[in-house]
Amino acid sequence: MPDKKLHPVMQADALIADAARRAFGDQAKAYFEKATDDVAQNKALREYALREIADLGFCDALESPDNASAWPDAAALIRAQAYSGLPVDMVHILVGQDTAAAIAREAGTYEAAPVPAAVERDLPAGSALFALGRCLQLGSAMEAAIDLSLQYVQDRKQFGRALSAFQAIQHSLAIAAEDLAAATASTDLALSALVTGGQSARFVHLLRSAAVVNAGAVTRVYEVTHLVHGAIGFTSEYALHHHTLDMLQWRNDVQTLLGSEAGCARLLGDQAVAHGGVWAGVTGLMGNPAS
Amino acid sequence: MNLNFPIFELPPEAEKLREQVRDFVREETGSGKWQRRGDFATFHLPGFSERLGSRGWLGMTWPAQYGGHEKSMLERLVVTEELIAANAPIAAHWISDRQSGPLLLRYGTEEQRQRFLPEIAAGRCFFSIGMSEPDSGSDLASVRTRATRTDGGWLLNGRKVWTSFAHVNHYAIVLARTGDAGESRHGGLSQFIVDLRGKDLTIRPIINMAGGHEFNEVVFEDTFVPSDLIVGEPGNGWDQVTSELAYERSGPERYLSCIRLAEATVRCAGKNPAPAVRETIGRLVARLISLRTMSIAVAAQLQNGEMPNLEAALIKDLGNAFEREQVQLIQAIQGDIESPDQEFLDAMTEASVYYPSWALRGGTREILRGIVARGLGIR
Repeated sequence: MPDKKLHPVMQADALIADAARRAFGDQAKAYFEKATDDVAQNKALREYALREIADLGFCDALESPDNASAWPDAAALIRAQAYSGLPVDMVHILVGQDTAAAIAREAGTYEAAPVPAAVERDLPAGSALFALGRCLQLGSAMEAAIDLSLQYVQDRKQFGRALSAFQAIQHSLAIAAEDLAAATASTDLALSALVTGGQSARFVHLLRSAAVVNAGAVTRVYEVTHLVHGAIGFTSEYALHHHTLDMLQWRNDVQTLLGSEAGCARLLGDQAVAHGGVWAGVTGLMGNPAS
Repeated sequence: MNLNFPIFELPPEAEKLREQVRDFVREETGSGKWQRRGDFATFHLPGFSERLGSRGWLGMTWPAQYGGHEKSMLERLVVTEELIAANAPIAAHWISDRQSGPLLLRYGTEEQRQRFLPEIAAGRCFFSIGMSEPDSGSDLASVRTRATRTDGGWLLNGRKVWTSFAHVNHYAIVLARTGDAGESRHGGLSQFIVDLRGKDLTIRPIINMAGGHEFNEVVFEDTFVPSDLIVGEPGNGWDQVTSELAYERSGPERYLSCIRLAEATVRCAGKNPAPAVRETIGRLVARLISLRTMSIAVAAQLQNGEMPNLEAALIKDLGNAFEREQVQLIQAIQGDIESPDQEFLDAMTEASVYYPSWALRGGTREILRGIVARGLGIR
């Protein structure tokens, strides 16, 4: 085979990504150890955690949301925060430049909001980037929930063996991981469209596509991770609920920003019809912007 | 969780190639050489394979000295995905181009490479897979077909089933037991190139539930295989058959089996499709974009010399699930499609009847999920 080494379109700086995972992990651990029922005190704890994060320079990673070349690193930070479960919202910080909003949400909460129909044009300024941030977070919340489940099914024994020894359990988690992989690939593709072409129509279409695939994955991951955990996953003392409620909130946010999941699908359908077919639509939407 | 699907972009020359393939397909169908029908694995047309070969679209990634064209895996992906998306008749050369050729390139003798690869790349030499047996499907290590040494070669005894196109292809690569299985059960297996036109074997049709004849049963009774047609080392068969799984499981054939039905849906949806139809088409597009993104990632990793077997198994399971759901999604909105024509109905009939086969070939759902579970560290 010819020697033509291929390089990915974009990659986060590995050192930044590692440092972010460690820092957010440490802060989340400290936060959840100290958090209580006292809402005001929890808010102070989140402010403290955010200062620690800011001291590492993470809050300045994206000088401006339009700075496409900084997005791979920003994405790694957003993912690290979401994976840790620390309720200090890096999307508000990096995209919205809004520190107050970044610490507003208490851990372990979810509030449904009305979802608008999807619109073909005139996405409110910034909402596509915000939605991209939410998709990145969704993927990491799902990953955290799956990782907790992978550990739990190896620790928990029933009928004299670990849950992970049951094929039904193995396959349930395999499917959840597959759906997450598809969602992550979709989000990464939208991110790469932003990095290479800015906020183009192509980026928005690929983002809608990512929204649809992520929404489906959340349904699956929510179901599987809770079912393999049994009742413990439904308690407020065990960490799974943080990731679950994050997932639900962020999926809802994506729809608030981009329009309903079904609406996003309809707009993608229109693209395919305009291209003259499903395959022409897929290759057209994904197509290399340089060619 | 450690699954890795980095984003690769197809280079501009690959997109140019796509246009050439589309032009070629239009030329072929425009001049009535064939009409789109069937899924990729059922449409066997040797003349078409030869025309592809003469354009340099077979053996694309192989070295020039064996008739190859030294293109990248991504360029091969573009050609295969366009042909599959067009339901082109690729079944004749499909196995030889995708896996028999690469197997010989990796494990074959110099003499085997020179004898078979240029003919495969020219679209004149077609291979079948000789793995499954009446009692060995998913549990491939249990094969009982046996090869014993004789003067100048080997004698094969046993039976293979589901051997697609054995009745029209030239050779099969047959997995047979040549020694002790050992504790892992993976020992003592060897691969042989068997001449399907030979006199000392029997090929019987197995008709599928759609009435089609692709499958066959191949019976070996003291079938002679000359010693220069064993592939690789005797006893190394297990490693050889499992080494190419990333090539076999990650390609567009794993999610485009019934693209014809989706295309017919768009064509018959009318100028202002019903909202439910638009939504379904969009959901198919979104799922395909995610699958194709992963498939491109695996092709690029293969090009870079990596062997992402786990990722490939994952793509196949997701792709097959998508194919099944695609039929269900379109069935659910069939009444909202403005003017379903005969082509739509034919595609629906075919998809409805054929879809069990899509998930079976190349590893069942349960086998694939087991591989993914092992990758996740819980098996």
